[in-house]
Amino acid sequence: MVDYWNRIIWPMIEGAQMTVLLFFIVILLSIPLGFLLTLAVKSRFKPLSWLAQLYITVMRGTPLLLQLLLICFGLPMIPVVGEYLVFDRFVAACIGFVLNYAAYFAEIFRGGLLSIDKGQYEAAKVLGLTKWQTTTRVILPQMFRVALPAVANESITLVKDTALLYAVAVPELLHFAQTAVNREFTIVPYFIAGVIYLAMTLILTVFFKWLERRYKYE
Amino acid sequence: MALIEVSNLKKSFGNQEVLKSITFSVDRKEVIAIIGPSGSGKSTLLRSLIHLEEIDDGSICIDGEYLVKDGQYAKQTEIRKITGKMGMVFQQFNLFPHLTVKENLMLAPKLRKTESLGEIEKRCYDLLRKVGLSDKADAYPNNLSGGQKQRVAIARALMLNPEILLFDEPTSALDPELTGEVLKVMKDLAEEHMTMIVVTHEMGFAREVANRVIFMDGGEIIEENEPEQFFLHPQHERTKAFLHKNWK
Ligand SMILES: Nc1ncnc2c1ncn2[C@@H]1O[C@H](COP(=O)(O)OP(=O)(O)OP(=O)(O)O)[C@@H](O)[C@H]1O
Ligand SMILES: [Mg+2]
Repeated sequence: MVDYWNRIIWPMIEGAQMTVLLFFIVILLSIPLGFLLTLAVKSRFKPLSWLAQLYITVMRGTPLLLQLLLICFGLPMIPVVGEYLVFDRFVAACIGFVLNYAAYFAEIFRGGLLSIDKGQYEAAKVLGLTKWQTTTRVILPQMFRVALPAVANESITLVKDTALLYAVAVPELLHFAQTAVNREFTIVPYFIAGVIYLAMTLILTVFFKWLERRYKYE
Repeated sequence: MALIEVSNLKKSFGNQEVLKSITFSVDRKEVIAIIGPSGSGKSTLLRSLIHLEEIDDGSICIDGEYLVKDGQYAKQTEIRKITGKMGMVFQQFNLFPHLTVKENLMLAPKLRKTESLGEIEKRCYDLLRKVGLSDKADAYPNNLSGGQKQRVAIARALMLNPEILLFDEPTSALDPELTGEVLKVMKDLAEEHMTMIVVTHEMGFAREVANRVIFMDGGEIIEENEPEQFFLHPQHERTKAFLHKNWK
Protein backbone atom coordinates (compact mmCIF):
# COMPACT_ATOMS: atom_id res chain seq x y z
CA MET A 1 0.00 0.00 0.00
CA VAL A 2 2.77 2.40 0.99
CA ASP A 3 4.54 1.28 -2.10
CA TYR A 4 1.48 2.06 -4.22
CA TRP A 5 1.32 5.49 -2.70
CA ASN A 6 4.99 6.21 -3.38
CA ARG A 7 5.04 4.91 -6.91
CA ILE A 8 1.74 6.15 -8.28
CA ILE A 9 -0.23 8.59 -6.20
CA TRP A 10 2.55 10.79 -4.91
CA PRO A 11 3.99 11.62 -8.35
CA MET A 12 0.49 12.43 -9.51
CA ILE A 13 -0.08 14.81 -6.64
CA GLU A 14 3.23 16.47 -7.46
CA GLY A 15 2.05 16.71 -11.06
CA ALA A 16 -1.18 18.26 -9.85
CA GLN A 17 0.88 21.00 -8.24
CA MET A 18 2.06 21.97 -11.70
CA THR A 19 -1.56 22.06 -12.82
CA VAL A 20 -2.53 24.28 -9.91
CA LEU A 21 0.46 26.55 -10.48
CA LEU A 22 -0.44 26.99 -14.13
CA PHE A 23 -4.04 27.64 -13.18
CA PHE A 24 -3.21 30.50 -10.81
CA ILE A 25 -0.66 32.08 -13.13
CA VAL A 26 -3.12 32.03 -16.02
CA ILE A 27 -6.06 33.37 -13.99
CA LEU A 28 -4.02 36.14 -12.40
CA LEU A 29 -2.57 37.33 -15.69
CA SER A 30 -5.30 36.66 -18.23
CA ILE A 31 -8.12 38.41 -16.35
CA PRO A 32 -6.36 41.81 -16.24
CA LEU A 33 -5.09 41.32 -19.78
CA GLY A 34 -8.59 40.38 -20.91
CA PHE A 35 -9.95 43.50 -19.29
CA LEU A 36 -7.37 45.64 -21.09
CA LEU A 37 -8.43 43.96 -24.33
CA THR A 38 -12.06 44.88 -23.60
CA LEU A 39 -11.01 48.48 -23.16
CA ALA A 40 -9.07 48.30 -26.42
CA VAL A 41 -12.12 46.95 -28.23
CA LYS A 42 -14.21 49.77 -26.77
CA SER A 43 -11.57 52.35 -27.65
CA ARG A 44 -12.57 55.27 -29.83
CA PHE A 45 -9.19 54.96 -31.57
CA LYS A 46 -10.40 52.66 -34.34
CA PRO A 47 -7.13 50.95 -35.34
CA LEU A 48 -6.62 49.83 -31.74
CA SER A 49 -10.18 48.56 -31.58
CA TRP A 50 -9.82 46.63 -34.85
CA LEU A 51 -6.52 45.14 -33.76
CA ALA A 52 -8.04 43.96 -30.48
CA GLN A 53 -11.03 42.47 -32.27
CA LEU A 54 -8.79 40.69 -34.76
CA TYR A 55 -6.72 39.33 -31.89
CA ILE A 56 -9.81 38.03 -30.08
CA THR A 57 -11.19 36.46 -33.25
CA VAL A 58 -7.94 34.64 -34.01
CA MET A 59 -7.36 33.43 -30.44
CA ARG A 60 -10.92 32.16 -30.06
CA GLY A 61 -11.13 30.83 -33.57
CA THR A 62 -8.13 28.51 -33.48
CA PRO A 63 -7.43 25.55 -31.18
CA LEU A 64 -5.55 26.29 -27.98
CA LEU A 65 -3.45 23.20 -28.66
CA LEU A 66 -2.32 24.64 -31.98
CA GLN A 67 -1.36 27.89 -30.24
CA LEU A 68 0.60 25.98 -27.60
CA LEU A 69 2.47 23.91 -30.16
CA LEU A 70 3.26 27.06 -32.10
CA ILE A 71 4.71 28.84 -29.07
CA CYS A 72 6.61 25.83 -27.69
CA PHE A 73 7.92 24.32 -30.90
CA GLY A 74 7.12 26.75 -33.71
CA LEU A 75 8.69 29.99 -32.53
CA PRO A 76 12.22 28.57 -32.13
CA MET A 77 12.09 27.47 -35.76
CA ILE A 78 11.66 31.00 -37.10
CA PRO A 79 14.86 32.00 -38.95
CA VAL A 80 17.18 34.54 -37.27
CA VAL A 81 14.96 35.50 -34.28
CA GLY A 82 13.99 31.91 -33.45
CA GLU A 83 16.95 31.25 -31.23
CA TYR A 84 15.85 34.08 -28.92
CA LEU A 85 12.35 32.61 -28.69
CA VAL A 86 13.26 29.41 -26.90
CA PHE A 87 11.56 29.57 -23.51
CA ASP A 88 11.39 27.12 -20.73
CA ARG A 89 8.57 24.74 -21.73
CA PHE A 90 6.42 25.68 -18.76
CA VAL A 91 6.93 29.40 -19.32
CA ALA A 92 6.05 28.99 -22.99
CA ALA A 93 2.89 27.11 -22.05
CA CYS A 94 1.94 29.82 -19.56
CA ILE A 95 2.32 32.46 -22.26
CA GLY A 96 0.13 30.46 -24.60
CA PHE A 97 -2.60 29.94 -22.01
CA VAL A 98 -2.57 33.57 -20.90
CA LEU A 99 -2.79 34.90 -24.46
CA ASN A 100 -5.64 32.53 -25.24
CA TYR A 101 -7.66 32.96 -22.08
CA ALA A 102 -7.31 36.74 -22.19
CA ALA A 103 -9.31 36.67 -25.43
CA TYR A 104 -12.12 34.71 -23.78
CA PHE A 105 -12.18 36.93 -20.73
CA ALA A 106 -12.24 40.00 -22.98
CA GLU A 107 -15.43 38.72 -24.61
CA ILE A 108 -16.96 37.94 -21.23
CA PHE A 109 -16.25 41.43 -19.91
CA ARG A 110 -17.52 43.02 -23.10
CA GLY A 111 -20.76 41.13 -22.61
CA GLY A 112 -20.88 42.40 -19.03
CA LEU A 113 -20.48 45.98 -20.21
CA LEU A 114 -23.24 45.57 -22.80
CA SER A 115 -25.64 44.42 -20.12
CA ILE A 116 -25.37 47.70 -18.22
CA ASP A 117 -28.30 50.00 -18.87
CA LYS A 118 -27.53 53.43 -20.28
CA GLY A 119 -29.61 54.85 -17.45
CA GLN A 120 -26.68 54.02 -15.14
CA TYR A 121 -24.37 56.31 -17.09
CA GLU A 122 -27.04 59.02 -17.17
CA ALA A 123 -27.73 58.81 -13.45
CA ALA A 124 -23.99 59.06 -12.77
CA LYS A 125 -23.71 62.05 -15.07
CA VAL A 126 -26.57 64.04 -13.53
CA LEU A 127 -25.06 63.33 -10.12
CA GLY A 128 -21.91 65.07 -11.30
CA LEU A 129 -19.62 62.04 -11.42
CA THR A 130 -16.65 62.33 -13.76
CA LYS A 131 -16.09 59.75 -16.50
CA TRP A 132 -13.43 58.07 -14.38
CA GLN A 133 -15.63 57.98 -11.27
CA THR A 134 -18.51 56.62 -13.31
CA THR A 135 -16.33 53.86 -14.69
CA THR A 136 -14.70 52.81 -11.43
CA ARG A 137 -17.60 53.31 -9.02
CA VAL A 138 -20.65 52.48 -11.11
CA ILE A 139 -19.82 50.52 -14.24
CA LEU A 140 -16.96 48.17 -13.37
CA PRO A 141 -18.45 46.75 -10.18
CA GLN A 142 -21.60 45.88 -12.10
CA MET A 143 -19.65 44.54 -15.05
CA PHE A 144 -17.64 42.14 -12.86
CA ARG A 145 -20.79 41.03 -11.09
CA VAL A 146 -22.56 40.24 -14.35
CA ALA A 147 -19.46 38.46 -15.66
CA LEU A 148 -19.03 36.29 -12.56
CA PRO A 149 -20.92 33.16 -13.72
CA ALA A 150 -19.15 33.19 -17.08
CA VAL A 151 -15.78 33.70 -15.36
CA ALA A 152 -16.60 30.71 -13.15
CA ASN A 153 -17.32 28.61 -16.21
CA GLU A 154 -14.14 29.67 -17.92
CA SER A 155 -12.07 28.88 -14.82
CA ILE A 156 -13.43 25.37 -14.68
CA THR A 157 -12.63 24.91 -18.34
CA LEU A 158 -9.11 26.11 -17.60
CA VAL A 159 -8.58 23.40 -14.99
CA LYS A 160 -9.38 20.79 -17.60
CA ASP A 161 -7.43 22.58 -20.34
CA THR A 162 -4.27 22.31 -18.24
CA ALA A 163 -4.21 18.69 -19.42
CA LEU A 164 -2.96 20.13 -22.73
CA LEU A 165 0.40 20.57 -21.00
CA TYR A 166 0.74 16.86 -21.66
CA ALA A 167 1.02 17.56 -25.38
CA VAL A 168 3.94 19.94 -24.95
CA ALA A 169 5.67 17.57 -22.54
CA VAL A 170 5.43 19.58 -19.36
CA PRO A 171 5.16 17.01 -16.58
CA GLU A 172 1.76 17.58 -14.97
CA LEU A 173 -0.95 15.43 -13.49
CA LEU A 174 -1.93 13.63 -16.67
CA HIS A 175 1.68 12.97 -17.60
CA PHE A 176 2.30 11.10 -14.35
CA ALA A 177 -0.95 9.23 -14.70
CA GLN A 178 0.03 8.04 -18.17
CA THR A 179 3.51 7.06 -17.01
CA ALA A 180 2.02 5.03 -14.19
CA VAL A 181 -0.43 3.34 -16.51
CA ASN A 182 2.36 2.31 -18.84
CA ARG A 183 4.69 1.15 -16.10
CA GLU A 184 2.24 -0.62 -13.79
CA PHE A 185 -0.03 -1.97 -16.46
CA THR A 186 -3.19 -0.79 -14.67
CA ILE A 187 -5.83 1.79 -15.52
CA VAL A 188 -6.30 2.85 -11.91
CA PRO A 189 -4.12 6.00 -12.35
CA TYR A 190 -6.60 7.33 -14.90
CA PHE A 191 -9.33 7.20 -12.29
CA ILE A 192 -7.10 8.79 -9.70
CA ALA A 193 -6.35 11.60 -12.14
CA GLY A 194 -10.08 12.00 -12.78
CA VAL A 195 -10.77 12.26 -9.06
CA ILE A 196 -8.07 14.89 -8.63
CA TYR A 197 -9.44 17.00 -11.52
CA LEU A 198 -12.92 16.59 -10.11
CA ALA A 199 -11.76 17.74 -6.69
CA MET A 200 -10.16 20.84 -8.18
CA THR A 201 -13.24 21.80 -10.22
CA LEU A 202 -15.50 21.17 -7.24
CA ILE A 203 -13.45 23.47 -5.05
CA LEU A 204 -13.70 26.15 -7.75
CA THR A 205 -17.42 25.66 -8.12
CA VAL A 206 -17.96 26.08 -4.41
CA PHE A 207 -15.73 29.15 -4.34
CA PHE A 208 -17.56 30.87 -7.19
CA LYS A 209 -20.97 29.99 -5.74
CA TRP A 210 -19.84 31.68 -2.57
CA LEU A 211 -18.66 34.74 -4.51
CA GLU A 212 -21.97 34.96 -6.35
CA ARG A 213 -23.91 34.81 -3.11
CA ARG A 214 -21.59 37.28 -1.46
CA TYR A 215 -22.16 39.80 -4.27
CA LYS A 216 -25.82 39.19 -4.90
CA TYR A 217 -26.81 42.74 -3.94
CA GLU A 218 -30.01 41.64 -2.34
CA MET B 1 -34.65 87.29 -13.86
CA ALA B 2 -36.01 83.81 -14.47
CA LEU B 3 -34.14 80.85 -13.05
CA ILE B 4 -34.35 78.94 -16.31
CA GLU B 5 -34.54 80.68 -19.64
CA VAL B 6 -34.82 78.72 -22.85
CA SER B 7 -35.02 80.44 -26.19
CA ASN B 8 -35.38 79.13 -29.74
CA LEU B 9 -34.17 75.69 -28.72
CA LYS B 10 -33.89 73.36 -31.72
CA LYS B 11 -33.02 69.70 -31.70
CA SER B 12 -33.09 67.01 -34.37
CA PHE B 13 -32.32 63.31 -34.32
CA GLY B 14 -31.01 62.61 -37.79
CA ASN B 15 -33.40 64.45 -40.07
CA GLN B 16 -36.30 64.23 -37.63
CA GLU B 17 -36.90 67.60 -36.01
CA VAL B 18 -37.84 66.72 -32.45
CA LEU B 19 -37.86 70.20 -30.89
CA LYS B 20 -38.81 73.13 -33.10
CA SER B 21 -37.80 76.44 -31.64
CA ILE B 22 -38.88 76.06 -28.02
CA THR B 23 -39.01 79.18 -25.89
CA PHE B 24 -40.08 79.28 -22.25
CA SER B 25 -38.87 80.32 -18.84
CA VAL B 26 -39.25 79.13 -15.28
CA ASP B 27 -39.12 81.32 -12.23
CA ARG B 28 -37.61 80.36 -8.93
CA LYS B 29 -40.03 78.32 -6.81
CA GLU B 30 -42.27 77.51 -9.72
CA VAL B 31 -43.60 74.02 -10.31
CA ILE B 32 -44.10 73.36 -14.02
CA ALA B 33 -45.95 70.37 -15.40
CA ILE B 34 -45.19 69.40 -18.97
CA ILE B 35 -47.79 67.22 -20.63
CA GLY B 36 -48.37 66.04 -24.18
CA PRO B 37 -48.73 62.97 -26.34
CA SER B 38 -46.05 60.34 -26.72
CA GLY B 39 -43.18 61.40 -28.97
CA SER B 40 -43.92 65.12 -28.62
CA GLY B 41 -40.41 65.82 -27.32
CA LYS B 42 -41.04 66.24 -23.60
CA SER B 43 -38.20 63.99 -22.48
CA THR B 44 -35.82 65.43 -25.03
CA LEU B 45 -36.55 68.94 -23.76
CA LEU B 46 -35.98 67.95 -20.14
CA ARG B 47 -32.80 66.04 -20.99
CA SER B 48 -31.47 68.99 -22.95
CA LEU B 49 -31.72 71.20 -19.87
CA ILE B 50 -29.31 68.97 -17.95
CA HIS B 51 -27.07 68.21 -20.92
CA LEU B 52 -28.04 64.60 -21.45
CA GLU B 53 -28.81 65.71 -25.00
CA GLU B 54 -26.93 68.35 -26.98
CA ILE B 55 -29.15 70.82 -28.75
CA ASP B 56 -28.50 72.06 -32.29
CA ASP B 57 -29.43 75.69 -31.86
CA GLY B 58 -30.85 78.17 -29.38
CA SER B 59 -29.97 79.10 -25.81
CA ILE B 60 -30.37 77.64 -22.35
CA CYS B 61 -29.61 79.94 -19.45
CA ILE B 62 -29.67 78.58 -15.89
CA ASP B 63 -29.53 80.97 -12.97
CA GLY B 64 -27.92 83.69 -15.11
CA GLU B 65 -25.31 81.45 -16.72
CA TYR B 66 -25.48 80.19 -20.27
CA LEU B 67 -25.20 76.43 -20.65
CA VAL B 68 -25.51 77.07 -24.36
CA LYS B 69 -25.86 80.39 -26.14
CA ASP B 70 -27.06 80.53 -29.74
CA GLY B 71 -25.99 76.94 -30.25
CA GLN B 72 -22.54 77.43 -28.67
CA TYR B 73 -21.93 75.34 -25.56
CA ALA B 74 -19.97 76.66 -22.59
CA LYS B 75 -16.63 75.13 -21.61
CA GLN B 76 -16.66 71.67 -20.04
CA THR B 77 -15.96 72.95 -16.52
CA GLU B 78 -18.72 75.58 -16.87
CA ILE B 79 -21.15 72.94 -18.09
CA ARG B 80 -20.43 70.80 -15.03
CA LYS B 81 -20.96 73.75 -12.75
CA ILE B 82 -24.22 74.79 -14.41
CA THR B 83 -25.77 71.33 -14.68
CA GLY B 84 -24.71 70.75 -11.06
CA LYS B 85 -27.49 73.14 -10.05
CA MET B 86 -30.03 70.63 -11.27
CA GLY B 87 -31.01 67.17 -10.19
CA MET B 88 -32.94 64.67 -12.24
CA VAL B 89 -35.33 61.84 -11.45
CA PHE B 90 -35.92 59.24 -14.14
CA GLN B 91 -38.89 57.10 -15.03
CA GLN B 92 -36.78 53.95 -14.57
CA PHE B 93 -35.24 55.19 -11.26
CA ASN B 94 -31.69 54.34 -12.36
CA LEU B 95 -30.54 53.52 -8.85
CA PHE B 96 -27.13 51.85 -8.61
CA PRO B 97 -28.04 48.21 -7.95
CA HIS B 98 -24.67 47.27 -6.44
CA LEU B 99 -24.95 49.91 -3.72
CA THR B 100 -27.26 50.03 -0.73
CA VAL B 101 -29.79 52.83 -0.40
CA LYS B 102 -27.47 54.73 1.87
CA GLU B 103 -24.51 54.24 -0.46
CA ASN B 104 -26.63 55.40 -3.41
CA LEU B 105 -27.32 58.64 -1.56
CA MET B 106 -23.79 59.18 -0.33
CA LEU B 107 -21.76 58.29 -3.41
CA ALA B 108 -21.90 61.61 -5.25
CA PRO B 109 -21.44 63.87 -2.20
CA LYS B 110 -18.54 61.72 -1.03
CA LEU B 111 -16.80 62.00 -4.39
CA ARG B 112 -17.40 65.75 -4.43
CA LYS B 113 -15.47 66.05 -1.17
CA THR B 114 -16.95 69.36 -0.06
CA GLU B 115 -18.35 68.04 3.21
CA SER B 116 -17.15 65.75 5.97
CA LEU B 117 -18.36 62.18 5.98
CA GLY B 118 -20.30 62.90 9.16
CA GLU B 119 -22.21 65.75 7.57
CA ILE B 120 -22.99 63.67 4.50
CA GLU B 121 -24.23 60.82 6.62
CA LYS B 122 -26.41 63.09 8.68
CA ARG B 123 -28.05 64.60 5.60
CA CYS B 124 -28.48 61.13 4.18
CA TYR B 125 -30.52 60.02 7.18
CA ASP B 126 -32.45 63.29 7.25
CA LEU B 127 -33.49 62.85 3.64
CA LEU B 128 -34.36 59.19 4.08
CA ARG B 129 -36.62 60.19 6.95
CA LYS B 130 -38.16 62.86 4.78
CA VAL B 131 -39.10 60.36 2.06
CA GLY B 132 -40.22 57.84 4.69
CA LEU B 133 -37.48 55.27 4.19
CA SER B 134 -35.37 55.49 7.35
CA ASP B 135 -35.63 51.74 7.82
CA LYS B 136 -34.31 50.98 4.33
CA ALA B 137 -30.87 52.60 4.60
CA ASP B 138 -29.03 49.30 4.32
CA ALA B 139 -31.34 47.61 1.80
CA TYR B 140 -30.33 47.06 -1.80
CA PRO B 141 -32.51 48.60 -4.52
CA ASN B 142 -33.49 45.15 -5.81
CA ASN B 143 -35.33 44.54 -2.56
CA LEU B 144 -37.46 47.69 -2.77
CA SER B 145 -40.83 48.28 -4.39
CA GLY B 146 -41.06 50.68 -7.34
CA GLY B 147 -42.48 53.43 -5.18
CA GLN B 148 -39.68 53.02 -2.65
CA LYS B 149 -37.05 53.05 -5.39
CA GLN B 150 -38.38 56.28 -6.79
CA ARG B 151 -38.38 57.89 -3.36
CA VAL B 152 -34.76 56.82 -2.93
CA ALA B 153 -34.00 58.34 -6.33
CA ILE B 154 -35.56 61.63 -5.25
CA ALA B 155 -33.58 61.61 -2.01
CA ARG B 156 -30.40 60.84 -3.95
CA ALA B 157 -31.00 63.86 -6.20
CA LEU B 158 -31.66 66.04 -3.14
CA MET B 159 -28.34 65.05 -1.56
CA LEU B 160 -26.61 67.51 -3.89
CA ASN B 161 -28.85 70.41 -2.81
CA PRO B 162 -30.05 71.22 -6.33
CA GLU B 163 -31.79 74.49 -7.11
CA ILE B 164 -33.95 72.77 -9.68
CA LEU B 165 -35.35 69.25 -9.84
CA LEU B 166 -36.32 67.70 -13.16
CA PHE B 167 -38.71 64.73 -13.20
CA ASP B 168 -39.28 62.65 -16.32
CA GLU B 169 -42.51 60.69 -15.79
CA PRO B 170 -41.53 59.71 -12.24
CA THR B 171 -44.62 57.56 -11.70
CA SER B 172 -45.12 55.99 -15.12
CA ALA B 173 -43.23 52.80 -14.29
CA LEU B 174 -45.16 52.27 -11.06
CA ASP B 175 -48.20 50.19 -10.24
CA PRO B 176 -51.14 52.55 -9.75
CA GLU B 177 -51.33 51.91 -6.02
CA LEU B 178 -47.70 53.03 -5.62
CA THR B 179 -47.90 56.38 -7.44
CA GLY B 180 -49.46 58.10 -4.45
CA GLU B 181 -46.45 57.76 -2.16
CA VAL B 182 -44.15 59.29 -4.80
CA LEU B 183 -46.55 62.12 -5.66
CA LYS B 184 -46.83 62.86 -1.94
CA VAL B 185 -43.05 63.37 -1.67
CA MET B 186 -43.12 65.63 -4.73
CA LYS B 187 -45.99 67.61 -3.28
CA ASP B 188 -44.01 68.11 -0.07
CA LEU B 189 -41.12 69.43 -2.12
CA ALA B 190 -43.42 71.83 -3.97
CA GLU B 191 -44.69 73.11 -0.64
CA GLU B 192 -41.10 73.78 0.39
CA HIS B 193 -40.80 75.83 -2.80
CA MET B 194 -38.39 73.64 -4.67
CA THR B 195 -38.27 74.68 -8.31
CA MET B 196 -39.47 71.68 -10.29
CA ILE B 197 -40.19 70.72 -13.87
CA VAL B 198 -42.28 67.58 -14.07
CA VAL B 199 -43.07 65.70 -17.24
CA THR B 200 -46.14 63.71 -16.28
CA HIS B 201 -49.25 61.89 -17.31
CA GLU B 202 -50.77 62.51 -13.90
CA MET B 203 -53.34 65.18 -14.72
CA GLY B 204 -54.51 65.27 -11.13
CA PHE B 205 -51.02 66.12 -9.93
CA ALA B 206 -50.56 68.72 -12.66
CA ARG B 207 -53.79 70.41 -11.75
CA GLU B 208 -53.30 70.30 -8.01
CA VAL B 209 -49.60 70.99 -7.56
CA ALA B 210 -48.28 72.81 -10.65
CA ASN B 211 -48.23 76.59 -10.91
CA ARG B 212 -48.23 76.33 -14.67
CA VAL B 213 -48.94 73.63 -17.23
CA ILE B 214 -47.12 73.43 -20.54
CA PHE B 215 -48.70 71.39 -23.31
CA MET B 216 -46.38 70.09 -26.04
CA ASP B 217 -47.21 68.43 -29.32
CA GLY B 218 -45.06 67.69 -32.34
CA GLY B 219 -41.96 69.32 -30.87
CA GLU B 220 -43.67 72.60 -30.07
CA ILE B 221 -45.21 74.27 -27.05
CA ILE B 222 -48.83 74.55 -28.07
CA GLU B 223 -50.23 76.17 -24.97
CA GLU B 224 -49.19 77.13 -21.46
CA ASN B 225 -51.35 78.40 -18.67
CA GLU B 226 -52.07 78.18 -14.98
CA PRO B 227 -53.75 74.87 -14.17
CA GLU B 228 -57.34 76.06 -13.60
CA GLN B 229 -57.43 77.93 -16.88
CA PHE B 230 -55.56 75.21 -18.67
CA PHE B 231 -57.83 72.37 -17.68
CA LEU B 232 -61.16 74.21 -17.65
CA HIS B 233 -60.64 76.56 -20.57
CA PRO B 234 -58.11 75.12 -22.98
CA GLN B 235 -57.61 77.47 -25.91
CA HIS B 236 -56.09 75.34 -28.59
CA GLU B 237 -57.87 72.59 -30.53
CA ARG B 238 -54.99 70.16 -30.03
CA THR B 239 -55.05 70.80 -26.28
CA LYS B 240 -58.77 70.16 -26.17
CA ALA B 241 -58.40 66.92 -28.10
CA PHE B 242 -55.56 65.77 -25.81
CA LEU B 243 -57.44 66.61 -22.63
CA HIS B 244 -60.56 64.97 -23.97
CA LYS B 245 -58.64 61.75 -24.44
CA ASN B 246 -56.50 61.82 -21.30
CA TRP B 247 -58.51 63.55 -18.62
CA LYS B 248 -62.11 63.39 -17.57
N1 LIG C 1 -31.79 59.02 -28.99
C1 LIG C 1 -32.73 59.18 -29.96
N2 LIG C 1 -32.44 58.89 -31.24
C2 LIG C 1 -33.36 59.06 -32.21
N3 LIG C 1 -34.61 59.51 -32.00
C3 LIG C 1 -34.96 59.81 -30.74
C4 LIG C 1 -34.04 59.66 -29.66
N4 LIG C 1 -34.67 60.04 -28.52
C5 LIG C 1 -35.91 60.41 -28.89
N5 LIG C 1 -36.10 60.28 -30.22
C6 LIG C 1 -37.33 60.62 -30.96
O1 LIG C 1 -37.65 61.95 -30.66
C7 LIG C 1 -39.05 62.10 -30.52
C8 LIG C 1 -39.35 62.72 -29.20
O2 LIG C 1 -39.01 61.80 -28.18
P1 LIG C 1 -39.22 62.09 -26.64
O3 LIG C 1 -38.70 60.92 -25.90
O4 LIG C 1 -38.64 63.41 -26.29
O5 LIG C 1 -40.81 62.16 -26.54
P2 LIG C 1 -41.72 62.21 -25.25
O6 LIG C 1 -42.63 63.36 -25.41
O7 LIG C 1 -40.90 62.16 -24.03
O8 LIG C 1 -42.58 60.88 -25.41
P3 LIG C 1 -43.07 59.84 -24.28
O9 LIG C 1 -44.32 60.41 -23.67
O10 LIG C 1 -43.35 58.59 -25.04
O11 LIG C 1 -41.98 59.67 -23.28
C9 LIG C 1 -39.66 60.73 -30.73
O12 LIG C 1 -40.14 60.66 -32.06
C10 LIG C 1 -38.52 59.80 -30.52
O13 LIG C 1 -38.68 58.66 -31.33
MG1 LIG D 1 -40.57 60.71 -22.50
